[in-house]
Amino acid sequence: MITIKGLSKAVQSTTLIENINLDLEPGKILGIIGPSGNGKTTLLLCLAGLLPFEKGRITIGDRSIAAEESNTDKESLWAFRKKSGIVFQHLHLFPHLTVLGNIIEAPVHVNKIPKADAEREARRLLKKLEIEQHMNKFPEELSGGEQQRVAILRAIAMNPEVLLLDEPTSALDPIRSGDVRNLIREFANSGHTVVIVSHSVRFLRGMADYLAFMGKSELIEMDTADTLMANPKDPRTREFLRFSEVN
Amino acid sequence: MNSLTAFARPVLRWGGDPSGGAPYVFADPSDPQTYTGFDYEFAEALADKMGMQAQFVPTDWESIVSSLKRKEFNVIINGFEPTGDRAREMLFSKPYYLFRLQLTVRKSDGTITSLEDCKKYGKSVGTLVNCAASRLLEEGKYRVKGYQDPVGAYEDLELGRVDAVLMDVAGEMFYARSNPKLKPAGKPFQTGAYVVGIRKADASLKADIDKAIDELINDGTIEKIFRKWNLWDDEQVKLRTATPPAIEITTTKLNWSEGLIKLFKAAMITVLLAFGAMFIAVILGIPLAVGQSNGGPLIRALCTTYIEFFRGTPVLVQLLFLYFGLPVIGITLPGWLTAIVGLGLNYAAYESQIYRTAFQAIPERQWQVAYSLGMRPILAFRRIIFPQAFRIALPPMTNDFVALFKDTSTAFAIAVWELATAYRELANATQSYLGIGIVVCCYYLAMSLPLAHYAHRLERKLQRKSTGILSSGAEK
Repeated sequence: MITIKGLSKAVQSTTLIENINLDLEPGKILGIIGPSGNGKTTLLLCLAGLLPFEKGRITIGDRSIAAEESNTDKESLWAFRKKSGIVFQHLHLFPHLTVLGNIIEAPVHVNKIPKADAEREARRLLKKLEIEQHMNKFPEELSGGEQQRVAILRAIAMNPEVLLLDEPTSALDPIRSGDVRNLIREFANSGHTVVIVSHSVRFLRGMADYLAFMGKSELIEMDTADTLMANPKDPRTREFLRFSEVN
Repeated sequence: MNSLTAFARPVLRWGGDPSGGAPYVFADPSDPQTYTGFDYEFAEALADKMGMQAQFVPTDWESIVSSLKRKEFNVIINGFEPTGDRAREMLFSKPYYLFRLQLTVRKSDGTITSLEDCKKYGKSVGTLVNCAASRLLEEGKYRVKGYQDPVGAYEDLELGRVDAVLMDVAGEMFYARSNPKLKPAGKPFQTGAYVVGIRKADASLKADIDKAIDELINDGTIEKIFRKWNLWDDEQVKLRTATPPAIEITTTKLNWSEGLIKLFKAAMITVLLAFGAMFIAVILGIPLAVGQSNGGPLIRALCTTYIEFFRGTPVLVQLLFLYFGLPVIGITLPGWLTAIVGLGLNYAAYESQIYRTAFQAIPERQWQVAYSLGMRPILAFRRIIFPQAFRIALPPMTNDFVALFKDTSTAFAIAVWELATAYRELANATQSYLGIGIVVCCYYLAMSLPLAHYAHRLERKLQRKSTGILSSGAEK
């Protein structure tokens, strides 16, 4: 479950996001759409607890941080960070670790799970995505799509309540390939929440339960995916959807 | 004489080392553009007697014989002593001064009264390299420490870096006699002679010089010069005797097995210097890099000043500063430790920059991924950031270590007996530059090649674990 109340973030005098309010129940996938540079990634980083913000409060499950805490080194912030897992646009796998190493690194060293158990779980996930054979390879030996799957597994392996994905379509392989979509869907169905930021409506269609349109720094509207696609209320949303249809 | 006749006279070019060269030949303190000293006056008188014009060529004492052979000047006039090994490759004039050796110790010293005491109690004796005294000490297997000039030797004696100094009386009179912290130990001993050194092919020049020296002795010119410098004693009467005075010629012959052992010991000191200095540099580089990148304005400024100072001034000057400058404020380190500390401080500046660039090359997103996986900064640094930075830093660090190995040769300036010093001393003493040079190069290669090889293997091993930072480029 995610609740955002009055979230604002500025760098010097430039407003990046302004007064964002949002509620999302567990088991759902939210797609955030909108043109590049409108603060979608900023919102995601705030949700992950990686970017301090000036106003508002974010709650994930039983953990919550307010603006004042977002810039400190308090225990509450560290606990909040563990609530979500993030997959960056450029993935940022650990280049010095193997595929297996990338996935088990945090379970073993943060959650202190015995290495053998962590490996067994990682193998199960890798098998599901049919990249088990790449287990002992290093990230740079994999294709973009394979790297993306590893990055998703790395985040999922810590079993966060929320999975955050930034522009997943920019990976080289088409992520539309069913198994990744299935994995995300399955993760959501098991009671987790997923937030996907993308400028591509096409990718989110049929996958996201909700869609939110982000205009310049603000959340213009949010609705169920079908409603927003069929009947956008705001002219800016309509404009964007019409534009993305032809793409 | 007018300038026209002076111009017309043939020139006698003579070589001598004016650095720390008093009272032989040195820059006149009241007029540093000109030189003075008894050898300077003797050379002027000698040339004049031969109908020539003397011209002084400043040179380096340790390699003075090689410079003569390379024809940088016609003769050596520099308190130059005839020795058996030199006799094989050059000519000597007849003596123009008879000198003796004087041992000097600290005033507080109660044990050393003679050179024999030094051996008995295992005391170290400093002396000028490549002279009669150094040959005497080496032959006698004393603990010798060679210096480039008398100033450094007596200064180290004062500071306790060496227990005694053996020097020609002329030098001892000038530099040590009036020093309240030092005292002579025993009487002057062992007569030797100063002669003019001449190339083997110049036999007729030798005849002219001998004739002129005879005349200078007989007309009292030499007595006048040396009386002026307070160096005339009864011993000099022997110069006049018809038979040549009995001169004790000391000699050095290269004993190869002994030479190799000496070089090996020197190589071990080089290894010690290199590893010791690198250890300091690798450790000290960390706070410097952190301070420069993450410190407050003051810390940042201090670190930057440190780094720019050590990178912007020659390491040789830094070593001399530490060796001679620190004792002024009461910190006296032995030469080898000064070299380790000095080189370590210097290379720390370079290592800090390697660390800084290595860590800057790791994208901020790597930290963020680690944090989002629940890693605290220390764990993230240890498991994620450091291993990546290490492999970026390793090749330039290896380069620096090899460079440091070679830079240990600068320790020669502060009388540390490392490999380059050993080479100069052994080669100059035996004139076997080529043979010993090859051996020395082999020693250096034997040390640096395995190092380079090992580093290369480690790099390749890490390389297999991928160095690619997967993606660069900004994310919004």
